[in-house]
Amino acid sequence: MNAAAPWKLWANPIIRRYARSRLRVQGLGIGLILTLMAAGFLFFSTRTLALYRGNMPEIDAERVPLLPLMVLQALILFFLGTGQVAGGMTGEADEGVLDYQRLTPLSPLTKVLGYLLGLPLREYALFAGTLPFTAWGLWRGQVPFSAWASVYLILLSSTLLYHLTGLVAGTVVKNRRWAFLVSIAVVFGLYTVIPQMAKFGLTTFKYFTLWPVFEEQMSHFVPRDAGGIFRTVQRMTPEVRFFGLGFSETVFTLFSQAGLILTFVVMLWRRWRQPEAHLLGKAWAAGLMVWTQAMLLGNALPLIEPGLVFPSRELQRRVFNARGWTPSVSEGMGMIGLYGLVALVLMLVLTLIVTPSLEDQVRGRRRARKLGLSRPPWFSDAATSFWCVLAMAVTGAAGWFVFARSLIGPAWYAGHSLPSHTPWTFGLVLLAGGLCFHALLERWGGRRVFQAVLFAGFAPIMVGATLGAASDRLLTASLWLIGLSPFAAPVFASQSLLSTADLPLAAARAIPPAFWFWQTLTALAALTLAHGLWREKKARAAAEASV
Amino acid sequence: MSQPPTPSYPPAIEIRDLRVDYGNCVAVDDVSLTVPPGEVFGLVGPNGAGKTSTFRVLATLMEPTYGEVRLAGIDILENPREARRIMGYMPDLAPVPSDLKVWEFLDLFAEAHGLGRAAARRQRIDEVLAEVALTDKRTVFCRTLSRGQTQRVVLAKTLLHRPRVMILDEPASGMDPLSRRNLRFALRKLADQGTTVFVSSHILGELAEMCSSLCVMNRGRLLAAGSVDAVRRLLGRAERTLSLVVLERAGEAAAWLAGQPGTGEVTTHGQRLTFHFSASQEDQAALVTGLVRQDIRVSSFEEQKSTFEDILVEVAEGHHTP
Repeated sequence: MNAAAPWKLWANPIIRRYARSRLRVQGLGIGLILTLMAAGFLFFSTRTLALYRGNMPEIDAERVPLLPLMVLQALILFFLGTGQVAGGMTGEADEGVLDYQRLTPLSPLTKVLGYLLGLPLREYALFAGTLPFTAWGLWRGQVPFSAWASVYLILLSSTLLYHLTGLVAGTVVKNRRWAFLVSIAVVFGLYTVIPQMAKFGLTTFKYFTLWPVFEEQMSHFVPRDAGGIFRTVQRMTPEVRFFGLGFSETVFTLFSQAGLILTFVVMLWRRWRQPEAHLLGKAWAAGLMVWTQAMLLGNALPLIEPGLVFPSRELQRRVFNARGWTPSVSEGMGMIGLYGLVALVLMLVLTLIVTPSLEDQVRGRRRARKLGLSRPPWFSDAATSFWCVLAMAVTGAAGWFVFARSLIGPAWYAGHSLPSHTPWTFGLVLLAGGLCFHALLERWGGRRVFQAVLFAGFAPIMVGATLGAASDRLLTASLWLIGLSPFAAPVFASQSLLSTADLPLAAARAIPPAFWFWQTLTALAALTLAHGLWREKKARAAAEASV
Repeated sequence: MSQPPTPSYPPAIEIRDLRVDYGNCVAVDDVSLTVPPGEVFGLVGPNGAGKTSTFRVLATLMEPTYGEVRLAGIDILENPREARRIMGYMPDLAPVPSDLKVWEFLDLFAEAHGLGRAAARRQRIDEVLAEVALTDKRTVFCRTLSRGQTQRVVLAKTLLHRPRVMILDEPASGMDPLSRRNLRFALRKLADQGTTVFVSSHILGELAEMCSSLCVMNRGRLLAAGSVDAVRRLLGRAERTLSLVVLERAGEAAAWLAGQPGTGEVTTHGQRLTFHFSASQEDQAALVTGLVRQDIRVSSFEEQKSTFEDILVEVAEGHHTP
């Protein structure tokens, strides 16, 4: 008896199961009729307008429906598909039938692929329903093969990435509605919040979306007159620079997405292999931190010298002439602060994933005692994540420092330099915040951490911002209050290290002392909490050994 | 001529030092148990005894804190995929997917277990549906089935790949009396064919009828394991109730009995005498002989043993501490 191998997608029982349930004539028929109506309307109305009202030549008129159709396709695949994957996965767990799949001798990878490709089968069918219109437009509009193949390749790889996000959300979130909303929010965020971060030097984030390839190939998807403008823009940024290497947008987007796709597959594989396993192992989490730093730096560093990394340059270029432009100090500080904040948040999320719960710790200790070990193996889920947090903090601080040192260099900030203690300061910010978070999580569990993040992380920023908005006289007090939040620490650190001539006087005076005061306190808290955790773990182990 | 060596089969289920913790709560506490092949083996215990945790570990759905579990010689922690090939698990209140028809649900698992091409799978599906008497429900949606029918469909799914070890958590819940009787027969038939069935049920009389052996758990510990009679002897009350009917002189007989060692207060209802007796089986035999020697004619003699319900109540009330 041979169960299906992962690569035999046509024989995957889970895909075949969803082919039966999600492609029934009744359910699919209604969806297909609505999709054909929407796609037909978009195609015929825009084409007719272009032909008869716009008097465009036929080739140009045939290209006009392509963009609206692509929006419809993205809606179907990205939003409906992702939501269906997340909701469907939670639904299986909700109904209780997921355990049956765990009991089959299929490999974890076969199961991951089965749910990934099976759950959104109806959405793939609806997408296929729009393709005849698109194919007509591509053919009659004479869109080159390389252009549409690149765009649709990335459309499909992005779809896989977002569906995997939905699958992870569906595996982690227990409530079907919440899983649906979380996955939709992630995709929405990728197309709204993340592109804004990409404009502030974190360029790599935009490669998780369809935008870069779409912008690269856009000139072929619009009437030829309009395409000329896009071609000019494209010539200005001809390829993706990654450290010293050059790639096309398509190749680099695929490469970036492949890293995340692999990580998500590992998460799901681990959960299928063992339902109580952490989503990521400690080594993988630390590796992911290194990979993220490499991606962020690899994309950002080559853009610093030509000035393309600065958002103000892009604005200047679009609105005015870019000649005579120089970036302000506050812009540089903001970008450095944002980099640090992203490193901190990523480290906290990974810490949340790899830190053992109290239950895991008890089980791990008892298992270790039974096996004659003094503690669980270093890389097991039950082992402390202290060393992993330490490694991630050091990696994050190193990446942050490299970015800051490259930005504040002779190219744009002549006369400015980072103090020699900068790497230590960055290390302190990430270590203090990370170790506080870790110690709270490992000693008291998620509820206490949630309260800490709410009241020490978000509340000071919200209250401080409200105070600062009320009056200039309260600005100093508001900045001291905001400085209490570990999330403000990366921004305050960057503001404390550089010349603060661009800042208002009150801010320039308040931020450095507030930063150092709160950072000292956070560091002391981290040491106290870490010591407390160590003592607690020792006491628990001793108490159990004596039973 | 030397005799050929007797083939030695590994136990169908072998559990050694199994422990399951939920935080500081110990659900299964160092349980060791061996079930030979071809048995219908029952697991009895009150709520919270650790039955479901034990079953979920055996079914590879949960990793224990520690311990070793082997199914037909396969270490389920080292090689869960191999264990899943030979094991069938039916959970308590087993669910079915609402969007599939009965045959589609079964075909999904027939494919997952690699039961061959469509025709072979279809034949096997028809066989298992016949075994659970649901052939007429082949093409209906699972969501339209009653609770008892749902249980039977899931039982059919469990039987599909002809598992060597079946783990059934309350398989009879929701079934009507006829279906329960059929289930009993089906499980006995499977055991006769060499399948080992490890089953829990809250209908204890039924479990005693169905099982060749059983074990009793409470608060995560195994209290007793063995044949039904052995467990009853081990955990049932030492004191038993004796009842006899004499043809005449009931008062005299009551007075004589009350003077014998091990006899409690004797109550008389007409010619029927009932009393508690806590001495040995030999003393019990001597009691009857003694009555006859007293020229008291005994027309019937009955010993009321502890039922499994009694045993379970006692276990739940903590009379049998681990």
